Amino acid sequence: MVKKEVEKLLKKVQKPARYTGGELNSVIKDKNNVKLRYAFCFPDNYEIGMSHLGMKILYSLVNAREDAWCERVFAPWEDMEALMRENSIKLYALESGDNLDEFDLVGFTLQYELSYTNVLNMLDLGGISVLKKDRTSLTPIVIAGGPCVCNAEPMVDFIDIFLPGEGEEVTNDLIDLLIEHKEKGSTRLEFLREAAKIEGVYVPEFYDVNYNEDGTIKSIENKETAPPKVKKRIISDLDAVHYPKDFVVPFIDVVQDRTVGEVFRGCIRGCRFCQAGFIYRPIREKSPEVINEQCRSISDATGYDEISLCSLSTSDYTNIEKLIPMLFNWALKENINVSLPSLRVDNFSDELMEELKKVRRSGLTFAPEAGTQRLRDAINKNVTEEDVLKTALKAFDGGWTSVKLYFMMGLPTETLDDIKGIADLAQKVVDTFYHNPNKPKGKGVQVSVSCASFVPKPFTPFQWEPQDTADMLIEKQKHLLSSTTSRKITISYHQSDTSVLEGVLARGDRRLGEVIYKAWKKGCKFDSWDEFFDFPKWREAFNECNLTTEFYANRRRDYDEILPWDIMDYGIRKEFLIDENKKAHLSETTPHCRIKCSACGANKLNGGKCDARS
Amino acid sequence: MPEVKKWAMDVRMSFQKTGMAKFISHLDTVRCITRAMKRACVPIWFTEGFNPHAFLTFAMPLSLGFESLCETVDFRLMEETDLNELAERLNNALPVDITVKEIYIYETSPNDIRWAEYKIIFNNPDNLLLEQAEKILSSNEIMVLKKVKKGRNKVEKEVNIKEHIKSFELENENGKLVLKTILSSGTSTNINPMLLIGALVKDTETDEQDVDIIKVQSYTENMEIFK
Repeated sequence: MVKKEVEKLLKKVQKPARYTGGELNSVIKDKNNVKLRYAFCFPDNYEIGMSHLGMKILYSLVNAREDAWCERVFAPWEDMEALMRENSIKLYALESGDNLDEFDLVGFTLQYELSYTNVLNMLDLGGISVLKKDRTSLTPIVIAGGPCVCNAEPMVDFIDIFLPGEGEEVTNDLIDLLIEHKEKGSTRLEFLREAAKIEGVYVPEFYDVNYNEDGTIKSIENKETAPPKVKKRIISDLDAVHYPKDFVVPFIDVVQDRTVGEVFRGCIRGCRFCQAGFIYRPIREKSPEVINEQCRSISDATGYDEISLCSLSTSDYTNIEKLIPMLFNWALKENINVSLPSLRVDNFSDELMEELKKVRRSGLTFAPEAGTQRLRDAINKNVTEEDVLKTALKAFDGGWTSVKLYFMMGLPTETLDDIKGIADLAQKVVDTFYHNPNKPKGKGVQVSVSCASFVPKPFTPFQWEPQDTADMLIEKQKHLLSSTTSRKITISYHQSDTSVLEGVLARGDRRLGEVIYKAWKKGCKFDSWDEFFDFPKWREAFNECNLTTEFYANRRRDYDEILPWDIMDYGIRKEFLIDENKKAHLSETTPHCRIKCSACGANKLNGGKCDARS
Repeated sequence: MPEVKKWAMDVRMSFQKTGMAKFISHLDTVRCITRAMKRACVPIWFTEGFNPHAFLTFAMPLSLGFESLCETVDFRLMEETDLNELAERLNNALPVDITVKEIYIYETSPNDIRWAEYKIIFNNPDNLLLEQAEKILSSNEIMVLKKVKKGRNKVEKEVNIKEHIKSFELENENGKLVLKTILSSGTSTNINPMLLIGALVKDTETDEQDVDIIKVQSYTENMEIFK
């Protein structure tokens, strides 16, 4: 329901259907018949935001209530933003076309650190004061969830309430409370005091953070009604929790445009670099019947011709051999393709391999993450060279000719030998192809090596580790290039400055709020996009605030240092993370959760239950 | 071996694309209609290659930003189907601004399209625009820069589009200037009305983007309505 003056602008922008709304299955309500209006904001462009499963779940969850209406808001692209500012048009929600400042709850999902400046920009475009201290009326209340909330500190100047953990229950709790306080005519403070009493609600203004002279944290003190630590919320029964019956179907091509079946939450693997592997624990599975039914419903309601299964490591799903045939049974007849990301082909049965051959095959991807066995042990990536080569051989037999290998650079304990190991492993994959008598005739092999820069994250065993500087990473990238001799191997890696900023924001404290604000004022936005990222501006902002990136990124922290995210309780015990960190330095592995429970502590969030041990 | 026809009916669907649907590009429209077919359980024929896909033939792609009252798409049905009921089912599965008018058995080919009629509304015309437009449209030569293919590349070439304007009618309507015109259309020569609009507003204050363009009708060589 776009207003006339907006429609005029749409003739002048790229991909106008980003801004029109009106997509199939979008929810239109009468605003006079609801008690609360919720703007779900994704701090990136439409194509990225519309691909996000969490948004689809919460959109559908809130709209299932009669007394609330949830709408979608995305960051406008540069061309549209310029026209909006020029014509004094505020950022609006796609369903009603109403401006952001007319909403009661304005919720952001913080999926990656480099989207933070977009949050500020969207608030500003929507007519809402960017700094929370300037917002005095009860509504709008600005809230945020998503993985980055596990260390929300750099964003506390801008956000009223953070919701660590899974949002399905706490969103409803918060909506109920805000409706009650709107009706009572409470003040903002009265509402926040009550909100802080709800489990899984973090109200940052109710905490004082004191610093030592060296910049580390001296103490964190809770006040008002706030608990000393905020425990993340989890959903205990995934079969019973709300899941959308349909998805909004975009007109334009978005990144993930298909039916998504959620398979489980959490992960059994315990790879030490992986934040998702820890912050989503404990592992909880959905039953295959429920997943199948949910995929069926969404496919019928959208007309999508593809189903994708979503979880951190889908082949670890205990019922995968039951689920796949269930889906194939109806999907293939209807020309619907089933794609399985995050698969470890090695532990598949031959029957399942046969089933998989029925569908279109995509490229083959492995993620050894590190080039040598020593380093793979240190990061607890329990994959051996033999696994990789055996699976590659199997795949070449089956007709594949291109393989993608994912690695990381800058891992703790890494040396130049480990970097050379990346090139060596890629070369062995090439050799495996040419030594295979059954190789596809007349075809060469293509091995693409993609190297991400490792960024230490909170709630992982590497949360105390120094991150490689940009110079160190560039040296390693050069070493990798010079270690690669075959023309069958192509190497790609990330820009190192973005990794530095990501690392700083990931482990930052409250003082970074000022830096983010200044960077945004200087024009920083869409920092995760190479064409927008402007590190010199960020450097200026750090200098003006007398802070350095080195303090946050490149410093080794002591085990007993108070960390900014110590306010949060994600179930994982700090002692467990310390043990894992020590084992990493000894290149010792930890078996995955189904082989042996390592007592990480996350199961206490779920009354002692964990599906890895059932 | 005689070729066996694997489908039951060859049908054409005529539809309108109005309102906000003008901002859906041609490729996105194709995808949107394909998905609607699936939602409405239309027994459509799929191609039989390694990547089977719904077989749809659109008569003419419509430019982004244009509305149209006369779009068509041809497809094949695997079984005998009540076409009125099918149209209703599809309408329920389509976004509001894309509306099925009729589904029918066709006799013409999209290649028969030769002309298209447009209604062009200048929302905020300059005072001089009516006079200038009349003069230009009545002259013997209307030169515009048109992108043409030259081998693999596209180059801009100055062409006279006068012979591609079959008729025109200019009218003032509540401060807006409305141009109804019939232009060459189809696979051999296609004149995008934006070319003409650019020529008409040249050197005036009229914003060429503040214009509504509605494709009203397609015609064959003999000026019969394409159906």
